[in-house]
Amino acid sequence: MVKEVKELVNRPDNTAYTQQRLPAWQPMLSAGIVIPGFVSIGLVFIGIGVALFVTSQSIQVLEIDYTGVEQSSPCFKCSDQTGKKCDCVMNFDIDSLFKGPVFFYYGLSNYFQNQRKYSVSIDYNQLTGDLDYFTNPDDACFPFQNDRNKPIVPCGAIANSMFNDTFQLFQLVNGQKKEVPLDGKGIAWWTDYNTKYRNPSVTPLRNAFNGTVKPPSWPQAAYELDTKDTSNNGFINQDFLVWMRTAALPDFRKLYRRITEGDYASGLPAGNYSLQIAYNYPVLSFDGRKKVVFSNVSWMGGKNEFLGIAYLVIGSLCVLMSIVMLIVYAKFKFPEED
Amino acid sequence: MAKESVDSGLTWEVRANSRHYHKHKQKKSFLSIRWGRYADNVLRSYKYSPLTFLPLTLFEQFQRVANLYFLLMVVLQCVPAISSIPWYITIIPLLSVLSVRGLKDLASDMARRRSDLKINSRPCDILISQRFSTAQWKDLCVGDVLRICKDQVIPADLLLLSSSEPHSLCYVETADIDGETNLKYRQALSETHNELTSHPSEETLAAFDGVVLCEEPNNRLYTFRGQLLWRGQSFLLDKEHILLRGTVLRNTEFAYGLTIYTGTDTKILRNCGKLRVKKTRTEKVFNKVVLGIVLSVMLAALLLAIGSGVFSSLVMSRTEVLSSLVVNGNPVYTGFLVFWSYIILLSPAMPIALYITFEVIHTVHSKFIGWDLEMFWQQADRPAQARNTSLNEELGQVGYLLSDKTGTLTQNCLLFRQCCVAGEIYGDASVRAEDMKPMDLSWNSFSCGGLYMSAPGLVEKLRGQQCALSRQFVTALSLCHTVMAEWKEDAPVYQAASPDEEALVGAARELGWVFLSRTRDFIVVSELGVTRQYQLLALLDFTSKRRRMSILVREPEGGLKLYCKGADIVILERLQKDCPYQERIERSLELFAQACLRTLCVAVRSVPEASWEQWSKTLAKSAAMTTCDCDTMLERLYDEMERELQLLGVTAIEDRLQEGVPETIDLLQQAGIKVWVLTGDKKETAVNIGYSCKLLDPDTRLLEWQELRQILQSPDPGVSFFKARQTDMWAEDRGTTGSKTAVILTGPELAEFDQRPEWGASFMSLAEQCQAVLCCRVTPGQKADIVTLVRKHTKSVTMSIGDGANDVNMIKTAHVGVGIAGVEGGQAVLSADFALSQFRFLQRLLLVHGRWSYRRISLFLRYFLFKTCGFALVHIWFGCFNGFSAQSLYETWFIAFYTVFYTAAPIMCVAFFEQDVSAESSLMWPKLYNVGQKQELSSPRMLFLSLLYAVYTSLVLFFVPFGVFHDTAFDFQTMAVTVAMAAMFTANIEIVLLTRFWTKFNIAAVCVSVVLFFICTRITHNSRLFERAPSDYYFLGVSDRAFIDPVVWLTALLTAWTAVLPSMTALALNIILSVHDSHKVHSVPHQPVELRSKLIRGTSLRRSSYALSQGAVPGRLITSGTSIRSTVPTVDEIVTASKNPTDSNGQMMDNKTPKLHFKTV
Repeated sequence: MVKEVKELVNRPDNTAYTQQRLPAWQPMLSAGIVIPGFVSIGLVFIGIGVALFVTSQSIQVLEIDYTGVEQSSPCFKCSDQTGKKCDCVMNFDIDSLFKGPVFFYYGLSNYFQNQRKYSVSIDYNQLTGDLDYFTNPDDACFPFQNDRNKPIVPCGAIANSMFNDTFQLFQLVNGQKKEVPLDGKGIAWWTDYNTKYRNPSVTPLRNAFNGTVKPPSWPQAAYELDTKDTSNNGFINQDFLVWMRTAALPDFRKLYRRITEGDYASGLPAGNYSLQIAYNYPVLSFDGRKKVVFSNVSWMGGKNEFLGIAYLVIGSLCVLMSIVMLIVYAKFKFPEED
Repeated sequence: MAKESVDSGLTWEVRANSRHYHKHKQKKSFLSIRWGRYADNVLRSYKYSPLTFLPLTLFEQFQRVANLYFLLMVVLQCVPAISSIPWYITIIPLLSVLSVRGLKDLASDMARRRSDLKINSRPCDILISQRFSTAQWKDLCVGDVLRICKDQVIPADLLLLSSSEPHSLCYVETADIDGETNLKYRQALSETHNELTSHPSEETLAAFDGVVLCEEPNNRLYTFRGQLLWRGQSFLLDKEHILLRGTVLRNTEFAYGLTIYTGTDTKILRNCGKLRVKKTRTEKVFNKVVLGIVLSVMLAALLLAIGSGVFSSLVMSRTEVLSSLVVNGNPVYTGFLVFWSYIILLSPAMPIALYITFEVIHTVHSKFIGWDLEMFWQQADRPAQARNTSLNEELGQVGYLLSDKTGTLTQNCLLFRQCCVAGEIYGDASVRAEDMKPMDLSWNSFSCGGLYMSAPGLVEKLRGQQCALSRQFVTALSLCHTVMAEWKEDAPVYQAASPDEEALVGAARELGWVFLSRTRDFIVVSELGVTRQYQLLALLDFTSKRRRMSILVREPEGGLKLYCKGADIVILERLQKDCPYQERIERSLELFAQACLRTLCVAVRSVPEASWEQWSKTLAKSAAMTTCDCDTMLERLYDEMERELQLLGVTAIEDRLQEGVPETIDLLQQAGIKVWVLTGDKKETAVNIGYSCKLLDPDTRLLEWQELRQILQSPDPGVSFFKARQTDMWAEDRGTTGSKTAVILTGPELAEFDQRPEWGASFMSLAEQCQAVLCCRVTPGQKADIVTLVRKHTKSVTMSIGDGANDVNMIKTAHVGVGIAGVEGGQAVLSADFALSQFRFLQRLLLVHGRWSYRRISLFLRYFLFKTCGFALVHIWFGCFNGFSAQSLYETWFIAFYTVFYTAAPIMCVAFFEQDVSAESSLMWPKLYNVGQKQELSSPRMLFLSLLYAVYTSLVLFFVPFGVFHDTAFDFQTMAVTVAMAAMFTANIEIVLLTRFWTKFNIAAVCVSVVLFFICTRITHNSRLFERAPSDYYFLGVSDRAFIDPVVWLTALLTAWTAVLPSMTALALNIILSVHDSHKVHSVPHQPVELRSKLIRGTSLRRSSYALSQGAVPGRLITSGTSIRSTVPTVDEIVTASKNPTDSNGQMMDNKTPKLHFKTV
């Protein structure tokens, strides 16, 4: 019988892929790899934890609550006021040199900058200086979109609620007040300052704001934020930019100034200091707190004990687990000996 | 009259040759409103038309809860008041899911349309205005008279009116209906035959105006009730008069039929069961989990919304800044809106991409099945085919395999392999039939191959005229049968009701005893070239009770001989005393049985003239009796004749199994799969095959209906079953060899289950303890009922495998249906989920592809749950710290890209390539298959654990960064990027832990995912994009700072590590505890697995039987002469015969009477 050699048209391809014979690495994990692996990872974590913890410990932090809840607080008199200008002075001592550069933060607690309605209440188009959005702000800004049929610029809840306490720091040297120079330049993000926020290219700036109104809570219009320095005025005002970068969690701090100049470039020397506060921002109504924070920084930024401790805990957990595994392994491998 | 017929249930009225009468009653439909009575003959298996495609596909797709859910999400997101993430984040994946799915459905529907068209446009000859004109199947209408030509497929259920053959007999092949390849005869009513066979037939047929009243269309293939009213007379009709759609007309020049049922009314289509959309068990479990997720999400959203309302009311009274944000100054309303916002925000926890990815993975797995060279059948150039691409993981969970016999386990090809004549055994069954060296049979001009027995000794004896016994043995083979011979190209072609007989007669032909033809009274045989004519005196037919058949002939020399063949038990007890070689023959019976051959004993008896005369008189008398005693009478008479036999020998026939069947069944049983065989065949045949394919062991105890019934009727079936097994074993003193039991059932017995539904459960619990279950004589509908029974009473996945149209129903009913693409007929394959060319490919399909698919898909589902929930649930915890305001912790783009770019590729690679053990090891260790059967990887518990793990991860993902960023100068966007980074790292580390089989694609996928995160993040934080659309890309510049901030990195790493710590620990413990097991499997050397049966054959029971087709008793036809002309042939037939004279039949013509016909059947 002559069998016709038919061409096999439907014959599948004989490739590694189609035959599921792809060369592959099949790691043969064994106790000999797993347990030392766990130990070493644990040790690495402990190492990182120790480094972080030590670094964190070396950072000096000084926090001063000036909400004025207690009657003894100098700011108590201001705390019940709403909107009215009120100044108070907080005095404090520094025992030893507060190494520079010192960062000067203001901190707020129980303040929900991450509330969705709040955090979307912003018109990015308007803030890039687009004049179309000056006359017609985005609906997201509601209810701070229009004020008596006039568009609000900058619109939205974030801008409206801008933090407006101001601080002046003095060192008391022989009864004399010596002002500590505060550097307000470059406290905002570079991209915010240069790209994200831009003033309209209209000079003078105030002309661009014709037909608009300032946010209802603001004492002055956006073009009056820093009348002395045009590069710090309007939407690119550093304090405004810092405020507009909303916080992640209800307790937060924001950079106010840096102390980098003059006699204080290397830090705040030991001595008595006086912080003069223009108390404008109400927080007590929602059980909030205000504070100022002085801190120096390390490679890891500000003080952060949590991270170091967490690393230590997890690292120890790994080591502990590897010990448990070793016991299990020993029991499993030599069951006769039990 | 009409009332009468209504009373008797015959309400279906068909008027011959009145097209317009039926036409306007035809079924029609418009917008799914149907009216009319008679279906048309158009096959419509497609679903869509151009107009209905879009609405239908959308309707179907939105029946999936997930799609509907996401549609709702898109709608919600369009409402500005509650839109917590922009609408385009959801609609893009939704649209792609819908369109991919829709296109896939469309493509498969087009394929169905094409195949329908092919069937609908098959030609047929319809009688229209006194002429037969060729039309297409779809034009056929009830009441039409058709002409069917030889080898044509019958297009509808017809009433046979007349045929070209004498007595209007015609033969049909019903392979597509019941899987039997032997021919069945159908006969027209003698009235229609007499009146309608005149020439020219067109006119008489056109004038035929009979009215058929019959039962309504139904699915009972083997019954038909009706009557024909014609010329004022009424004739009863039964199934003998009906030609069913799908059968093929054979050996009949043409037949005329009246169309009774068309299209969907036909019995075969009624039998086809509805097309069900099959869903896998895993998918069902997963759907429940998804539903659970949705409910949990809703609950969480509700709680958060309540929180939001409370928060709002607090804020209202106190905070000046935020109070203006409380909508309409109404905290309740705010809470209501926030509820929907949270539904949207948490919706990524419900994985939409999952369903589409699921489909892609299934498709790839199906491709792998088609690509597998080891499942490629070279002879037919046919690869395996996964026709339904959504059942792959089910292949890894099969608990019950329900198999058809003919064409699936066996090749339906019977070979004469051995015989024992005069105590001498010829042939060797241990040599495979293909390896057989054919004997030199060139001396035999009729030889045409097909004898797979090498016995030169026997040939020598036969030709050498020495051994009278062996000559008689072969003479018996050539005479004692009911085979018909048809002459084709100068050689007889045998048509037998039983394939066994065909093999025997064929073997006799090869050995020189050529059965040439038969008439009612004579049988002509060419014995080594000498044509001899035997007068046929009586044919003592085979019945399943008698288990033997005999033929009484007068030799040309004048002597009377009774040749008998039958099962060993019945023959051996009828032998004369001191039969020579009896012992040796009995030993050979044992030997043949061990080789799983089907044996028949052949015996002869010389009948004295006197006793014959006496006997024939009594026979004639009893045949004339019409009472029911007739049968018993006949039986007694037959019995009288069949005694004092002289044993000639034993034949051994191999019912050829498909290649590798015993090994496959053995392997599957080792893998814990219960194998059931469902066949329309006889019990004896089925049991025999059960033995030869190792489904039954020689020491298996067969539990038959009587016993089973007692057990089922007893108050506690389990106990009685145990007892029955016990006693039996004690009786046979085989307490140690095992508790193997098999249940044998037949169709009529199964029908009792319908009346006793309470038996189902106890039967299944018994069956679970049995080695196998054999169901014989079952109809296609019953096959499906058995599958339903199994499905109902067990939680296992059922798989049906079959090759014929009779298996279609069960294939559709089972969880997974496999069709064997046999030599002919694609019916089973068309409705199957998987098509294989060989039964043995099943082991690879199940143990390799199925196991891998199950594992891959389980891993995929669990991982998918983990990664989506873990990442989405973070918002619940974050909600507690942002005033329950539905603020997203992520950048919107991250939400969109997370599932698509950052985590999809690695899990896809796992789902494509993962192999815990190689294909060889999977086959080597069938026990590994149990994982799937027990649903170890995809049980609700496992999925729940994954969910729990996801919740843990989400807690870690939020609270570790929370601890770090709490009361610091870090802004929201930096935290968002940090958490995103941690989530991405977690997902990727988790997949690294999951992957055991690292191909280059896996490595690339993980690397690319991580790199993509950084690239995409940098892109969306880019100033160019910000300038285009400030409100969509307001994360400008965040990554510039975050990616160089050590705190961000340290936090992300710590978070990710903490998140995967439990899974890492579990993995490590797993490795430590199971180091030995996995080593065992992995260290198997890569060598081709040799599949040898490990079963040792014990002492075997003899298996002697003889297969006969369902219902047909050809003996009656032969003796009654309806099928054969007993008179002188018509002139033209003699001319046809003498047109092909050859040496052999020329010689034959000389010394034979003119009663010989070449063209009988």
